Amino acid sequence: MKTPRASRLAAVITICVSGALGLSACGSGFASPSANESSDAGSGPISVLIASSGDAEATAVKAAVADWSKTSGTEASVNVASDLIQQLSQGFASGKPADVFYLSPDQLSGYASNGSLEPYADSLANKGDFQPSLTRAFTFDGKFYCAPKDSSTLSLVINNDLWQAAGLTDADIPATWDELEATAKKLTSGNTVGLSFSPEVARVAAFFPQAGGSLLSSDGKTATVNSTENVKALTFVKKMLTDGSAKFSSDLGAGWGGEAFGKQLSAMTIEGNWISGALSKDFPSIKYRTVELPAGPKGKGTLQFTNCWGIAADSKNKPAAKALVEQLTGTQTQMTFAKAFGVMPSVISAESEFRKEFPEQEASIAGVEYAQTLPSQPGAADVLKDFNAKLATLQTSDPKAILDAIQAEMTATLSK
Amino acid sequence: MATLISDTPDTTAPASPVPGKSRRQRQGKFIWLAYVVLISLAMVYIFPFLINLATSFKTEPDAASDPLSLFPATWSTLAYEKLFLNSDFPLWFGNSVVVTVLVTCGRVFFDLLAGYALARVPFRGRSVIFAGVVAVMAVPGVVLLIPKFLVINQLGLYDSYAGMIIPLMADAAGVFIMKNFFESIPASVEEQARIDGAGTFRTFWSVVLPMCMPAVMTIVILSFQGSWNELSHFIVAAQSPELTTLTKGVAQLSSGQLSAGTQYPLKLAAAAIMTVPVAIVFFIFQKKIMNSTAGALKE
Amino acid sequence: MNTLTRSTHSSGTRGSGTRGNHNATGWLFTAPVLIILGLFLVLPVIMAAWVSISDWTGRGSPFAAGTQFVGAKNFEAVISGGGLAERDFGTALRNNLYYVVLVVPLQTIASLFLAVLVNSRVLKGKGFFRTAFYFPSVTSSVAITVLWLFLFSATGAVNKFLSLLGITGPNWFQEPAGIMHLLAQSVGIDSPPPAMESGTFLGVSWWDWLSGPSVAMSAFILMAIFTTSGTFMLLFIAALQNLQGELEEAAMLDGAGVWQRFWYVTLPMLRPTLFTVITLGLIGSWQVFDQIYTGTEGGPAKTTVTPAYLSFSTAFNNQQWGQGAAIAFLLFAIIIVFTVIQRVLLRESDSVPRRKRMNPKPSRGRSLWPR
Repeated sequence: MKTPRASRLAAVITICVSGALGLSACGSGFASPSANESSDAGSGPISVLIASSGDAEATAVKAAVADWSKTSGTEASVNVASDLIQQLSQGFASGKPADVFYLSPDQLSGYASNGSLEPYADSLANKGDFQPSLTRAFTFDGKFYCAPKDSSTLSLVINNDLWQAAGLTDADIPATWDELEATAKKLTSGNTVGLSFSPEVARVAAFFPQAGGSLLSSDGKTATVNSTENVKALTFVKKMLTDGSAKFSSDLGAGWGGEAFGKQLSAMTIEGNWISGALSKDFPSIKYRTVELPAGPKGKGTLQFTNCWGIAADSKNKPAAKALVEQLTGTQTQMTFAKAFGVMPSVISAESEFRKEFPEQEASIAGVEYAQTLPSQPGAADVLKDFNAKLATLQTSDPKAILDAIQAEMTATLSK
Repeated sequence: MATLISDTPDTTAPASPVPGKSRRQRQGKFIWLAYVVLISLAMVYIFPFLINLATSFKTEPDAASDPLSLFPATWSTLAYEKLFLNSDFPLWFGNSVVVTVLVTCGRVFFDLLAGYALARVPFRGRSVIFAGVVAVMAVPGVVLLIPKFLVINQLGLYDSYAGMIIPLMADAAGVFIMKNFFESIPASVEEQARIDGAGTFRTFWSVVLPMCMPAVMTIVILSFQGSWNELSHFIVAAQSPELTTLTKGVAQLSSGQLSAGTQYPLKLAAAAIMTVPVAIVFFIFQKKIMNSTAGALKE
Repeated sequence: MNTLTRSTHSSGTRGSGTRGNHNATGWLFTAPVLIILGLFLVLPVIMAAWVSISDWTGRGSPFAAGTQFVGAKNFEAVISGGGLAERDFGTALRNNLYYVVLVVPLQTIASLFLAVLVNSRVLKGKGFFRTAFYFPSVTSSVAITVLWLFLFSATGAVNKFLSLLGITGPNWFQEPAGIMHLLAQSVGIDSPPPAMESGTFLGVSWWDWLSGPSVAMSAFILMAIFTTSGTFMLLFIAALQNLQGELEEAAMLDGAGVWQRFWYVTLPMLRPTLFTVITLGLIGSWQVFDQIYTGTEGGPAKTTVTPAYLSFSTAFNNQQWGQGAAIAFLLFAIIIVFTVIQRVLLRESDSVPRRKRMNPKPSRGRSLWPR
């Protein structure tokens, strides 16, 4: 009776003791707190943290970083974040951030103002080569913080087969809101709606400039969210949603516009350049084309998106980090990225080559000319998140009421 | 349904005074009804897990078009292949195993020691410590998310196995259970050992410990489940992909990335696999616990 | 307690030297637990208290020189700031309040119902049913949430089942409309009366306070009942078995119908367990985090944001560490208030003479397990 008990106990204890030993070994390895030296002449390996749109992007970035590592002799590793913002925040708070990372404009002000970011981009050799709108997006308090890594604009993506099946031709490509509505209606049948996009301001706000509106005044100091132009645009979006020719991707059971489009739940979607990589990976059989978004009453309009390569102020090896960014934003590397996952280069020197290489991306390139960017002032990200939340109920709400509420929030945020 | 508990067994049931309708007949009807209700309820509780398993073997279009069927139109192991051959899933699994084993060992050992001391060793400050343990039990875990991150970070344990494991290695509830258990077994055996000249630790080791395997098993099971299923602590204690556990990995897989799409078969395969270890432990130990409890009751 | 006196007695017989020995042993044995609980439970609370009244921005140590004392500013922003922070907190409170108000009674009733059914003496296959009902409780909240996301997706199993009955199900986790609002709509009230629109509490209009849980939150409510009823069922079964003798006695009473017996005899006897279950339910259902993190991240339209998740995302995603810590303390206060109310009620119930035939109370750990 006693023997099996005793031996079981012995087994438990053996596991525990060996475990505890292993643990203390691990513990001692990590427990030494890192000295927070911010000397610029650092050394040591570089860690890169990215948020990937898919395998293609991750693979391309890894290859580019490995290339640099080989030529520079500095060790470098790439990690794909599952939740980039949270991982960055924890990294900064713990004093052990990644050296180089993706950073979106709306996160810039927060991290810049608490000193987490190294404002390095002013001293880059290729500083003058970046598109001016992108340089502006990453300038805070007069300092050019980080190098834009690429850019994307929203366009209208059309499923060729469904287009033809509805009896539409090239001449029917919508150039105005009325035409957009008409074609969407023609494309709506059975389980497929004409147009679908994510219920977020990063898609819906593309209609604002088409009506002549914007979220902020041109100097970025005043909120113009509830302007009559914006009300007109949002009312148009609501109309399309309520008459059934357009639907939010979430209402179709899809995670984003690209998924609804790929699953042929919608014949058209509004998405950025990244959709090409996602479609070729997940839905390779879909034939599609991208065209410019239709013009509204006040002309064309779209949104531009970008990320930059941030460098942490706590990085142990800033010179190497900077050298890596210079290479990653170089014309050559950017063209490689463009081929791998569809983004547009952020540097002017790569533009002509990109046009030549990707004639089908003409719509996105054209969009750069007249694109707006979303507000990135401190606190604006929260307001936009609330905007997204309110857009989810657009179908049953008053567009003016939504915009009024966001206007109040945006004004409060800007005056802080 | 309420009838059933208070109904006496057939043999002792007095015949109903109502003529023509015996109590036995009425009871038979109720039992029949009870079975119907119970079986349909059990279906509600079990069916989701069967769907989970079935869907993990479906193709994505199949999962979307026929979500209710328990038999995939075409059997596909694609989800499992992707999980094991083409993702960090094995790493997450390994991390969960390491963390769970170490946390469970730590809890058993520390809770045993503390529970024994609080129940049997009359030392100064005992009541204060016990009151403290009870008070700590009342602190809701979710409230500690931010503070735990701050402390782990301040101690230099952030983003390490140590930071993930050590904070979970003692739990107030476990101490409480152990203390109660020691108080429920007679002290006479130990007294005998002590009279024979054994010291406190020796008494604890060779006399007390073998007696308390049932309670140890309870702690093992509770802490195994607790640490295998733990999510929030791992979110705040680490960030490296190499330190991701199953719960964290699957949660972040679920909240999704741009091109990831819905991928239900993949996610459900992950959910199925992470359920397997707790299910096994549950089914094995449930019997053991029942036996030991039954044994304890007979004494 | 009698073991205590016994062992004290035995130590007394062994002379005064053992007293110091006992002190050393006692502290040595409890030291690991004390250190871990102190470091990772008590110290964090103190540190968070400092962060909640500071302007720490999340870089480096909160005790470093640059961090300033800001008084109650973070708390003010959350409960009376008039801005987004206040509205978010109000929304999170509303969401969780409906969750608590629905989950606690429903899970208690469900678990009691299951326990009474399963505990029936003449029933065969008790073990199977007990296992079936208890199994959801042992699986992780992450796995269950993933499963739930599938079951309640637009084309998921639940909607498929509803369509077999001729009902078109909603797109559960994407539907932000509140249940009460939907009910109001079905009787023709589409827009709120102006008075309810203008008046606000914590930045949320009265109309929105009365929205009820959103359809998305309702799916989480069903999930909570599904996963917790098994655990609480075991508590009730243990209690019912302890009371078996008394219940049989009661069954002998003539003239009383089965329902009456349950209502007037069984239920009052179960009162202590009922209180335990309700307390645990209250505490647990104010702490919804895992499901939200895994499932909706607060969406759609913030209708599944809970204070716990809001506290986390305010700190970790928005770098508002002070506000995040403040929300955590407010949540703590809410839970304490509920627990205290419950304690007071429990004390009252204890004074009811019920333990005329005291059965040995099973230990906490064992009572969780079926016999």
